[in-house]
Amino acid sequence: MGKPYKLLIIDDNKEILTAICAFFTNKKYVVVCASDGLEGLKFLESEKKGFDLVITDIVMPNISGIGLIAMIKKKHSNTPVIAITGWGEHPEALASEAKADRVLEKPFELVQLAKLVDELLG
Amino acid sequence: MEIPLIGKSKDIEKIRELIKHVSGSSLNVVITGESGVGKEVVAQNLYYKSKRNNKPFIKINCAALPEGLLESELFGYEQGAFTGAHRKKRGKFELANKGVLFLDEICDMSLVLQAKLLHVLQSGEFSRLGSEIDIKSDVWVIAATNQDLEQSVKQGIFREDLYYRLNIIRITIPPLRKRPEDISVLINYYLKQYASRFDNKKFAKPNLDLLKKLNYYHWPGNVRELQNFLKKGMVIGNWEELVDELASCNKTEDNSILPYSARNIVENLSFLEEKNGADLSSFSLKKIKKKALEKIEREVISYVLGKTGWNRSKATKILKISYKTLLTKISDLDIKK
Ligand SMILES: Nc1ncnc2c1ncn2[C@@H]1O[C@H](COP(=O)(O)OP(=O)(O)OP(=O)(O)O)[C@@H](O)[C@H]1O
Ligand SMILES: [Mg+2]
Repeated sequence: MGKPYKLLIIDDNKEILTAICAFFTNKKYVVVCASDGLEGLKFLESEKKGFDLVITDIVMPNISGIGLIAMIKKKHSNTPVIAITGWGEHPEALASEAKADRVLEKPFELVQLAKLVDELLG
Repeated sequence: MEIPLIGKSKDIEKIRELIKHVSGSSLNVVITGESGVGKEVVAQNLYYKSKRNNKPFIKINCAALPEGLLESELFGYEQGAFTGAHRKKRGKFELANKGVLFLDEICDMSLVLQAKLLHVLQSGEFSRLGSEIDIKSDVWVIAATNQDLEQSVKQGIFREDLYYRLNIIRITIPPLRKRPEDISVLINYYLKQYASRFDNKKFAKPNLDLLKKLNYYHWPGNVRELQNFLKKGMVIGNWEELVDELASCNKTEDNSILPYSARNIVENLSFLEEKNGADLSSFSLKKIKKKALEKIEREVISYVLGKTGWNRSKATKILKISYKTLLTKISDLDIKK
């Protein structure tokens, strides 16, 4: 088996963030968690080698997932991004316009997310 | 002229950091916060820290103009586009090309214009009134409002799709009373600024200890009110009186909201003066505190309920407590109509 994949996971909902991070930490990944867009952006800027994949919530204070995706796609255009959106919010169109590679609507099963991750890293 | 963003609170530090990280992005920004908190200062800081700072920063106040006029101001018009359009005029979107367009009081834009703005943001193009020609727009849109944007979306006065389109970067500036650490640094900064305007240097300097009292004032007009206060003090000079005036009308606007005064409690303590008769066993500061708090709560809640005609949800908004808490308080404190 090769090197573990490096994931960046961003969500301002603590429970969701903890759940996703815990789920992937058990697997073949190194996981970095950020609790809002600004924190996520700082990880992106400071991580020299970059991330293999980013999972981000859409509606967050300060830098929204949309903003984050736009910035990622400008600077690290090869990094795949999965956008996860809360129910009752309708920015899915924006998320794909911002070139999220996949969009997943909450609530979702973690295995669904894992499948998308495998697909993109596969 | 660039105005520095003064403050040492965590909130302001975070905003400074946010500005640093997003100023190169040209992503749409919404800045929210009460009147006078510094929304425009933040917008200007974003601009000055960006590569667009050698291009125009154009500001337009969406609340100040009627719909038709605002539209022609934003998009411009061709000669003869409407009666009175004697010659063509460029709009703010054109003037702000490659720079920043600061849309102030965005919540006050009509739904019709919101739809047009959304179209520009989606397509990156607009046309002058009376013209079919699409003009490419490269402007960084920064919007601001002192209203509750989320509430406006719920009420249907602000388009949800436009909300999501603008709210890519969100900067929320808390009111000054929530970040009292900033008050003293703002005072120092603005006293110096204003002092340099008084050439004779004869203005009255305030005693800095005295100004500490201002940390407890609630500053409904935020930094703008603080500025006006300092200017007034420097001109009039009787700082003590001015500070006391503010400190005493604290938590007001509706000052009558606090008909309570500490003197009341002390009067109730007069039994302590009785040479030997007083029974002190039931007396404790803790009890007094609890009673005093209850008394204040009862008076304030009754007052607010009275003012709102017992409209409980209005009252919860003013009091910043949940509906459930209000109902509990009404019954626990035995508040009656
Ligand atoms: N952090 C700060 N540092 C320095 N000056 C500030 C700061 N915040 C506000 N000010 C000053 O306070 C005044 C009011 O600020 P500003 O005009 O930006 O408020 P605003 O939020 O746009 O208010 P309004 O909603 O009434 O338009 C300005 O003169 C501004 O320079
Ligand atoms: Mg303003």
